[in-house]
Amino acid sequence: MNEEARVSEAELHAYVDGLLDEAERARIESWLAANPDAAAMIADWKTQNDRIRAAFAGHAKSMENDVRLIARGAAPKKTSSARRLQLAGAAAAIFAIGALSGHFAPRLLGQPQIELTYAEILPKEAQTAFLVYAGEVRHPVEVFAEEEAHLATWLGKRLAIDDLKVPNLQRLGFKLVGGRLLPVDGQPGAMFMYEDQAGERLTVLLGRNSQNRTTSFRFASVGEVETFYWIDGDLGYAVTGEVPRDVLRQVAEECYRQFPS
Amino acid sequence: MSPATAWAVSGMSRNPDEAEPAHGAAASAPVSFEAHMLALLPSLRRYSRSLTRSDSEGEDLLQDCVEKALSSRAQWRGVNFKSWLYRIMTNLHLNRRRTLRRHPSVGIEEAEAMTAGGPGDPLEMKRLSLALEALPADARAVLMLVAVEGYGYREVAEMLEIPIGTVMSRLSRARQMLREQLAEENVIHLRRPR
Repeated sequence: MNEEARVSEAELHAYVDGLLDEAERARIESWLAANPDAAAMIADWKTQNDRIRAAFAGHAKSMENDVRLIARGAAPKKTSSARRLQLAGAAAAIFAIGALSGHFAPRLLGQPQIELTYAEILPKEAQTAFLVYAGEVRHPVEVFAEEEAHLATWLGKRLAIDDLKVPNLQRLGFKLVGGRLLPVDGQPGAMFMYEDQAGERLTVLLGRNSQNRTTSFRFASVGEVETFYWIDGDLGYAVTGEVPRDVLRQVAEECYRQFPS
Repeated sequence: MSPATAWAVSGMSRNPDEAEPAHGAAASAPVSFEAHMLALLPSLRRYSRSLTRSDSEGEDLLQDCVEKALSSRAQWRGVNFKSWLYRIMTNLHLNRRRTLRRHPSVGIEEAEAMTAGGPGDPLEMKRLSLALEALPADARAVLMLVAVEGYGYREVAEMLEIPIGTVMSRLSRARQMLREQLAEENVIHLRRPR
C-alpha cells in the first residue's frame, strides 16, 4: 500500500495525457488495477480526451482567406508594398508545401447534419410548448381527456399516424389532461399534457421528422426545464417537465413502449 | 491520492512547438513574422474553435488574435512564437467571456454548436458541446491546451503565466465536470419489448 499511497491526482492526469515515462506508467497501472473506482474515472478521462480531440481535429485547416486575414490584421498600419510582397511570397511557399501535404484541401462543407438540426429543434420546441401551455389554468389543451378517442383520431389524422394512441401514464401517477395541435418544426405536431395529483404537469410532444433518420440516442437537455427526446424513424418525441429527472425518464420509457414503432 | 506535492514528478512537460519552423539568424532566408503566423493559422483555428461555441465565434476570435498579435509584435521576445500566440488568444477569449457574462447572448450561436466536420453521432456531439459550454472558460482553455493542443502542464503554466497548481486544479475541475455532464445516466437507452 505504501507505494500506492503515493499516486497523486496530478500523476493520474499526467498518465491520461501521456506525459509519463514507462516506469511511472507501469506504477500507475498497477495502482489502478487495485483501485477500480479510480480506474473507471481514468477510463472516462481518456474517453473525454479522445472525443474532444476528434471533435476539433478537423478544424486545424487552412482557409482561402487566411492570407487576407493576416493582411487585414496588418492593414491599420498601412501594409507597405514590400511587406505585402513578402507575405505573398511566403504564402505561395506555404501553399506549395500545404498542397503537397494536403493541408490546403478545399474546405469540406460536407453534408449538412440535418439530424442534428432536428435534434435541436425538437427539444427546444418541446420546452417552449411546455412553458407556454403547462402554466395555463383554463385552456392548457384544446381537447380534454373526456374526449380521448376523438383526440387520438384527430391528431393521428393531422400527423398522418395510423392508429395513434395517447400514452397512458396512470401507472406513473400522471393522468391525461388533454392535447392540442401545434406546429413542430413547421409541421403539424401533437402535444399531450398530463398532471399528477399535486397538479405537477408534464408534456409529451410528437413531431414529424421530415429528415426521416433514426437516432438511437436520447438525452436530457440542460436547462431549467428538462426534456428527454428521441427520434424514431420519421417521428420525433419529446417528454418535458419540471419533475425529477428520474420520473421524467420513466415517463419517456413508458411512452417509448406505448408509441407505435 | 495526495494533493499538491506531486507537481514535481518528472515528465509533465511537453512542448508541441518544438517542431516550429526555425526562424531568426539560423535560417538562410528569415521567415517573416506574418509568414510564420500564416503557417500556424490552422492550429490557431483549431484552438479558437475549441474555446468557442460556433464556427463563426471561433473565426472572430482567430481574427482578433491575429490583429492583436500584429499590433503587439514588438512585445514578442523572439522565442516560443506559437505559445505566445496561444496566450494572446486565451487572454482575448477570457476577457471577452467576462464581458459577455454581463450580456449573455445564447441562441442562434448555440444552435450552430459544433457541427462542422464533427465525426460520430450528432447527438453525442451535441452532448459534448453542451458539456463543454458548461465549463468555466478558464478550465476549458486548460483542458483544450492539454488534450487538443498537446501541451504539458508546465508549458501551459508558463504560457498563461499562472502557477502550475492552478493549471492542475483547472484541469481537474474541467475533467470532473465533464465526467458528470457526460455520465451515461443522462442517456436513457430505451427498449421496446418485441
